[in-house]
Amino acid sequence: MMLARVADSLYWIGRYIERAEHFCRLSDVMLNAAVDRTDSARQAARIAMSAIDEDHVDPNVAIERPADTVRNLVFDRHDNASVYTSLARARENARQVRDQITTETWERLNLLYLRVTGPGAEAAYEQSPLAFLQEIIADLHLFKGAADATMSHGEGWRFLLTGVYLERAQLIARLLDVCFGDAAGGYLLNDHFAQLSVLRMACALEPYLRVYTAEMQPRLLMQFLLFDEEFPRSIRFCAARVQEHLTRLTRSADVVDGPSPERIAGRLSARLEFAEFDEVAQFGASAYLATIVQECARIHEAVYEAFVAYPLEQRLPA
Amino acid sequence: MYDEMFQADGEVRPPYASLNAHISKLSPAELGDRQKTLERSFLLQGITFTVYGADSTTERIIPTDLFPRIIDAATWARIETGLQQRLHALNLFLADIYGRQSAIKDGVVPRELVLGAPSYRREMMDLYVPHAAYANVCGSDLIRNETGEVMVLEDNLRVPSGVSYMLANREASKRTFPDAFGAARVRPIENYPDLLLSTLKSMASEWRASPQVVLMTPGVYNSAYYEHAYLARLMGVPLVEGRDLVVHDNMVYMRTTQGLRRVDVIYRRVDDDFIDPLTFRRDSALGVAGLFNAYRSGSVVIANAPGTGVADDKAVYAFVPALIRYYLAEDPILPNVETYLCREPAQLQHTLQNLDKLVVKAVGASGGYGMLVGPHATQKQREDFAEHIKADPANYISQPTLKLSTAPCLIDGRVEPRHVDLRPFILSGAKTVVTPGALTRVALTKGSLVVNSSQGGGSKDTWVLTDDVEEHAHGKDMVQ
Repeated sequence: MMLARVADSLYWIGRYIERAEHFCRLSDVMLNAAVDRTDSARQAARIAMSAIDEDHVDPNVAIERPADTVRNLVFDRHDNASVYTSLARARENARQVRDQITTETWERLNLLYLRVTGPGAEAAYEQSPLAFLQEIIADLHLFKGAADATMSHGEGWRFLLTGVYLERAQLIARLLDVCFGDAAGGYLLNDHFAQLSVLRMACALEPYLRVYTAEMQPRLLMQFLLFDEEFPRSIRFCAARVQEHLTRLTRSADVVDGPSPERIAGRLSARLEFAEFDEVAQFGASAYLATIVQECARIHEAVYEAFVAYPLEQRLPA
Repeated sequence: MYDEMFQADGEVRPPYASLNAHISKLSPAELGDRQKTLERSFLLQGITFTVYGADSTTERIIPTDLFPRIIDAATWARIETGLQQRLHALNLFLADIYGRQSAIKDGVVPRELVLGAPSYRREMMDLYVPHAAYANVCGSDLIRNETGEVMVLEDNLRVPSGVSYMLANREASKRTFPDAFGAARVRPIENYPDLLLSTLKSMASEWRASPQVVLMTPGVYNSAYYEHAYLARLMGVPLVEGRDLVVHDNMVYMRTTQGLRRVDVIYRRVDDDFIDPLTFRRDSALGVAGLFNAYRSGSVVIANAPGTGVADDKAVYAFVPALIRYYLAEDPILPNVETYLCREPAQLQHTLQNLDKLVVKAVGASGGYGMLVGPHATQKQREDFAEHIKADPANYISQPTLKLSTAPCLIDGRVEPRHVDLRPFILSGAKTVVTPGALTRVALTKGSLVVNSSQGGGSKDTWVLTDDVEEHAHGKDMVQ
């Protein structure tokens, strides 16, 4: 049992943390790609920019001045999607539920926040953009590790992880849509360098190689990121975790009416578990991914309805 | 001037011997490093308050000095009994003025001074308060005068803060001077959250088997938010805001993920004015509609009780020694600072004639605001202030300018004396307990007497030393 507001904050910490990590990784891959000024590199930069949803950034400019482009993406405090904003919001939420997270977890996040918002932040970035981004990513891993190792694996922790996995599912779906969806113009992503970059953006390169070896195929790549059972960033894996956490959370919540978050999550998870790759081709990648994103949005709403903004008259003690 | 560490002849006072031995081995550079480590650890822990600027917001730590202030066992014993006596009398006074009002009828304290105080809450009349413990958490401000005598400067019975700094300073000073700490044999304070929780639980109705305690905060933008979260975490109780609570049928509930849960005790860190928009200020968005009625019905405890502020009113303060004699038939153990009430024509006259020697305070203000330190003010400031006093004499009191005692502090890499006060914390429920420690507040500006953190004050740890006799007795208990 925990305060509804607190559950909401923990859920959002999870979402913001995941978003920050993903955007750091996209930026990191883009900076790396920009070192070669080839068409393939331009392709990778375009994918990264579109996945960040920064349509106004011209990939050609991004390739020419990658460090400046990424600096804006990281530090722009007025941009809702910037790493700065995500970390500041995660930390603001954490401050509001400071009594619910362990000191180890809090200090890790506070340190990250100070690193990105502190007076020396931009100078540290200028000195070595890649090292700066990689340190943030490493610290975010430490944050998650500290949460896992020091927080009780109870309600609060489950809300945090529901946020992480739901956000991750949506971010990976967006990345896949950029690579394989209709907007990609049926482009088959057959450039080896671009394929490598996409796997790096999903932090999936090494796990992919272990399953499919160095044989890069767009179809296998998509299959891996959608349906792999064990890779923690595949959409199937995320959906299964969301279902697992929500099942445990709903068990004690006594949800009176409205759609149960557990049921929606279970449906999505089952669908991904028993899917065949041909279905994707049948529906079209964009339509298939859009359904997944929609289901994620429905889970988000159902969580809010069931745990946070429920009507009071239904939940008075007898 | 009395210095906490050094006698007039420059010798180190005995309680400071072990600390002095350790400090004198360290170079100024090493001391500076330890100070930096200390500040860094506060920043990382998020022990900060937020400064809102036009363009950006920054967070600062409350300046903390690395040298502890040390109090020997005998001095502490006197402080402890003195504070217990004082809080006991003040709680009886509150029960009285919200009940039969015999102190007023017997002429111990003027009627209009009590009933006319802005912090007097008529709504509290004839209400049952368990153990007559109106002020469950009290933080009194003590000072030492030139002769070294400990006096009470102010009582804080509303929502006193600073206890988290006391605990954080202790953590820090253990790390900064581990050897000196061990050698000095300092009494532990780490069980404060535990004592606070049992004090709060002792206020709940007996028939509630395991009372649900919550800590109510105005929210993350309050300057003491760190403390609220800290105490909630260490007590293991939910940290709630007004929007988390609802009142239904005179019962208070919190909104949890599993529906509404009954709340029994609210340790509120929100001022009286803001706890219930239906009873007090209507424009308050921090409170809970209907909370005060629920409180009156007895289904929930609010700690501290609303209306305790009248007992720490700066004009009522002048009567506390008389109140101790009246209720307890005892002489006050800790003396008051001499106080002139400007509401009395003769004392007003005295105040106006001696503005250059006196400290004048507005009765309703706190935190070092609305205050004139006569000797440090310019002629113009004194004249302006005199006009304010004449316009509303009842709103002012004056006191002689006290030379607060000094303690050594590390200022820009050098050890210099700065004025300090002492804020111990007293808990009162079924029992009254004084935590053997305190927040020592420091006026960091040279020569300044104002220690409030809002006015450039800092803090340092306070070591209360073990009494040998007491420890032997304790050791024997353990053997048995």
